[in-house]
Amino acid sequence: MKRLVPLAGIEVLVWAMLLLCMLLISRVAFEITIGTGTLLDRIATQTVRVLMSGIIILVWLVAWKKITDRYFWRTIARRKAT
Amino acid sequence: MLDFLPTVSIALVFAVSFLVTFASTPIIGKIMRKRGITGKDVHKLESKKLPEMCGLAILLGLTVGVAIYTLIFPNAIREAAAFIGTVLIAGAIGIVDDLRPLSARIKPLLTAAACVPILLLGTYDPLPVIPFVGPVRFTIIYPLLIPIALAVTSNSVNMMDVMNGTMAGTVSVIAVIITAILLIAGRTETAALAAGLLAVSLAFYYFNRYPAKVFDGDTGSLAVGAALGALAILGRIETVVVVALIPHIMNAFYGLASVGRLYERREIRQRPIRLLKNGELQASEERGAPITLARVILAAGPWGEKEISRAMIILTLISSILAALTFGITMVGKI
Repeated sequence: MKRLVPLAGIEVLVWAMLLLCMLLISRVAFEITIGTGTLLDRIATQTVRVLMSGIIILVWLVAWKKITDRYFWRTIARRKAT
Repeated sequence: MLDFLPTVSIALVFAVSFLVTFASTPIIGKIMRKRGITGKDVHKLESKKLPEMCGLAILLGLTVGVAIYTLIFPNAIREAAAFIGTVLIAGAIGIVDDLRPLSARIKPLLTAAACVPILLLGTYDPLPVIPFVGPVRFTIIYPLLIPIALAVTSNSVNMMDVMNGTMAGTVSVIAVIITAILLIAGRTETAALAAGLLAVSLAFYYFNRYPAKVFDGDTGSLAVGAALGALAILGRIETVVVVALIPHIMNAFYGLASVGRLYERREIRQRPIRLLKNGELQASEERGAPITLARVILAAGPWGEKEISRAMIILTLISSILAALTFGITMVGKI
C-alpha cells in the first residue's frame, strides 16, 4: 500500500487547490455585479459569476490533470529504468 | 411519528434497506443468470460469467427504505419523492443501457434528465454553501446546474465500476461521511436517506466484493451516482460531495481528457490495463490509452484486482475525510 502515498498526496494537493479556487471565486467572481438590480441585470450578474467560477474550476481541473500526468509518466519511466 | 428519536428512525431506514438488498441480490442474481443476462469478469485468468443488472436489488432496497422513511417523516414526503424519483429514473436508464447499450453521448444527456423530480417538486434551495463564501444566492442559474450535477455524479460513479467491489465499496465510504455530516448539520430527514444509500451499498458490497458473485450493471451504478447527486442537492452539501468524489472525478475526467471525447469502455481499443499470465494487472504504457485511476495506481508496478479495489476504497476514504474537513471549514466560516 506504500504506492498509495503519492496518490494520497495528490488528493490532498488537489483539495487544497480547490479551497484556494473557492477563495478566488469568493474574492473575484462573486464581487462582479452588473447593472442596478433589474431582472436582466440579475441574470447577467449570475451568468457572469458562474462563467468566471467555471473558468477558475477549469484551471483547477487542468492543473490537477497536469500533476497526475506528470506523476504517471515519471513513475512509468522510473519503473522501466529499474 | 418518531421525530423525537432521530437515531432510531435512521437505524430503521438503514436496517430495512439493508435487509431488502441483502435478501434480494442472490434472488435477482439467479433470475439474471437464468435469463442469460450475464457479463464477463474480465480481470481474472478464468473469466467467469456473472449475473449482470443485480443493481435492481439496490433500487428495491432504496425504494422500500424510502417507503419506510415516508412513514417516519410524513412531512418530508416531497423530499422522499424527489430522491427516489431521481434514483429510479437513473436506474431505468441503467436498465436500458444494460439491455441495449446506449451511446457515450446519449447516456450523460439521459442521466441529466434524472433531475426532473427534484426540479418539479422544487426540493432544492438555490443557496449552495461554499467554503469561505457561505450560502450563495443562485436563484436563476442553480436549477440549470442541477442536470449537469446529476450527469456528473451518476456517470463518474458508473465509470468507477471497473473492478470487483469498487462501486459499492467507495460509495459506502462516502455514504458514511455524508450521513454523519447531515446529522451534525441537523438535517435528520436527509441523513435518513443517506443512511438508506449506505445500507444498500454495504449489502451489495457483500456480494460484489472480490471475488464478485454478481455485477450491479449500469442499473446499480447510475442509480447510486444519481442518489449521491440528489443527496448533495437536498442536503445542501454540494461542495462536500464534490470533495468526497475526488477519486471518481479523477477517474472519469482523466479518462475523458486523455481520450479527448466521451467514450464507452467497449469502444476503447487501447486498453488502460492488461492482465498478466500470473493473474496480476499491469498499466498499459501506450500513449493513446485512457489514463484511468486503475492505470495510475498500477503505474508503480503490477498488482492484483483485490489490491487495486482496496486502494480505490482507501483513496475514497481519504477524500471523504477531506470532505468532512471541508464541511468543518464551511461551518467555521458560518460562525
